[in-house]
Amino acid sequence: MSNHASELGAEGRERRPLRIIALLVLVICLAIFPFVLTNRFYISLVNEMLIYGLLAMSLDVLLGYTGLLSFMHNAYLGLGAYVVGLFLIHVSPSSLWLSILAGIVVTSLIALPVGWVQVRTGGLAFALLTLAFGMMFYTIVWKWYDLTGGDDGLMGVPHPDINLGGIVIANSGNPTAMYLLSLFVVLICFLITWRFIHSPFGAVLEAIRENEERASFVGINVRRYKLYGWMYACMLASISGGLFILYRGYIGPTTMGAFAGAGVLMMVLVGGMGSLWGPIIGAGIFIFIQDYISTMTEHWELFVGLVVILLVLFMPRGFAGLGDYLTRFRKE
Amino acid sequence: MSVIAIAVDIALNSLVLGGVLLIVAIGLNIIYGLSRVMNLAHGSLYALGAYAGFTLVASGLNFFVALFIAPILIAILGLIIERTIIAPVRKRSIVYTLILTYGLMFLLDGLIKYFWGNEPRFIELPAFMRQTIPIAGTHYPVFRLVTLLITAAAMIGLMLFLGKTKIGIILRAASSIPEMVSCLGINMTFVHVGAFALGCILAGIAGVISGPLYTIDPIMGHEMLISSFVVIVIGGLGSLRGAVLAAFLIGLVQTLAEFFITDLAMVIVYMMMAVILAFMPRGLLGEGRFE
Repeated sequence: MSNHASELGAEGRERRPLRIIALLVLVICLAIFPFVLTNRFYISLVNEMLIYGLLAMSLDVLLGYTGLLSFMHNAYLGLGAYVVGLFLIHVSPSSLWLSILAGIVVTSLIALPVGWVQVRTGGLAFALLTLAFGMMFYTIVWKWYDLTGGDDGLMGVPHPDINLGGIVIANSGNPTAMYLLSLFVVLICFLITWRFIHSPFGAVLEAIRENEERASFVGINVRRYKLYGWMYACMLASISGGLFILYRGYIGPTTMGAFAGAGVLMMVLVGGMGSLWGPIIGAGIFIFIQDYISTMTEHWELFVGLVVILLVLFMPRGFAGLGDYLTRFRKE
Repeated sequence: MSVIAIAVDIALNSLVLGGVLLIVAIGLNIIYGLSRVMNLAHGSLYALGAYAGFTLVASGLNFFVALFIAPILIAILGLIIERTIIAPVRKRSIVYTLILTYGLMFLLDGLIKYFWGNEPRFIELPAFMRQTIPIAGTHYPVFRLVTLLITAAAMIGLMLFLGKTKIGIILRAASSIPEMVSCLGINMTFVHVGAFALGCILAGIAGVISGPLYTIDPIMGHEMLISSFVVIVIGGLGSLRGAVLAAFLIGLVQTLAEFFITDLAMVIVYMMMAVILAFMPRGLLGEGRFE
């Protein structure tokens, strides 16, 4: 995996004020959007883009920054969503934050031994194992009918109130409120991940991506840091799962399937590996296209496969790569 | 049925399953060993082999003729795929080839659904293979025994090809020191194409024989892909002996699990894999060539 690095865009280390302004403008636009376009359809579409954006970003921490490939990262979205849903059904139907916390904790407890086994093998076996373990979770969720509802999915998840600092703001059954909650959570996660990636810790992850052997020679415990990266990515994925079930009120096993995993991979590819904002844009584009094309054609699978092949062959750095290319062009 | 009969039944079934797993996994292993490409579309090529077999038999050909023609068709398809899609990314990082072949897997699955639809298919067998013969108190289907023979013949054929023919020796040499083989004036493109075609032939054979064993449906390839990963990872990447050992081990465990708990059989197999890897990260007989 040594020449992986040269093909990935190294995000500029310096903080440009322009970027902060762009982020602010984008967030404000996203925040006032549901009050301008009050159509429920658009609100849930953008909400789904945000949720999958968070998932794609978490995969990018793994793929773009640590150089580890996870084929079924959606499995951890699914685990988070099932735990949050089961918590709301069986434990407490009104604690929103507690349920999300439960989702993060339980998913982490599952991801820890899986990650521990995965990082002990090499880079290629790591990728193969993510597929095998992902299929295992999918099979368990699909077959454990009494707990998860099997093929029918988990239904009847209650909508708790959204509670910020002791003040009840709205019910999560309200699409606009739920959308704003997603926006808030995704923004917080993005900022934390941004700090995380641009800290010495993130530099270690990038060092592992660039050259594992050299990183271990300067005294970095490669396995441990890979495991940290994996755990962080799985935690983010479980948060996206919590948002997913709160917004939909339903989850089925297909969300955890191999094909959905390819979709997440495609989001990261479209957006560009190794740039946190790229995969979020990629998720937006993917969800948008999926919404229009999958209703028109039943051969959505063919389309996804073809686009993934074309992206790898002709545009391996995705949209973020295009952005870098344009800035370089402007400078020249 | 007596205990012995059940035991014989389980033993034979696990040999049949292990054999099919072995053929697919060895194809995958050969492609990886010779050209450093982990072909995630291998399961879909196996499924295509089964569908090709189905179409050939349905159009009136004898089963054994189909068993001969279908792998060749898959190999031709493999040649086209290798030249057009995989060759351009061979020089890049393994992450790209993994993602690329993953995309290819869905493309092939989409094509299967486009041409054959979603409904399950069955390969019609010649009359003599539909009978059963009594072995140690159980009535065992003749077809499963024929499958065992075909598996054994394929494996022996592969061993002779790799061990005795000039092409086979070049392929084996290329898997250990590709630079040296290249220096000796042997075209590496030929090696890569040859490995891919060989893997495809094996996937095609496995596809046709598993047609009558299991139902043919568009997701049969996914299950086989994951199972053959498990075989390769447990056996040790690049180790043929390890693959043989792991294939029969998984065949046995999966057959036992299917017999006793049915639904979650695959979960048991994954658990076993996790336990083995936790203690032996390179697999049972791995040579430490994971990267």
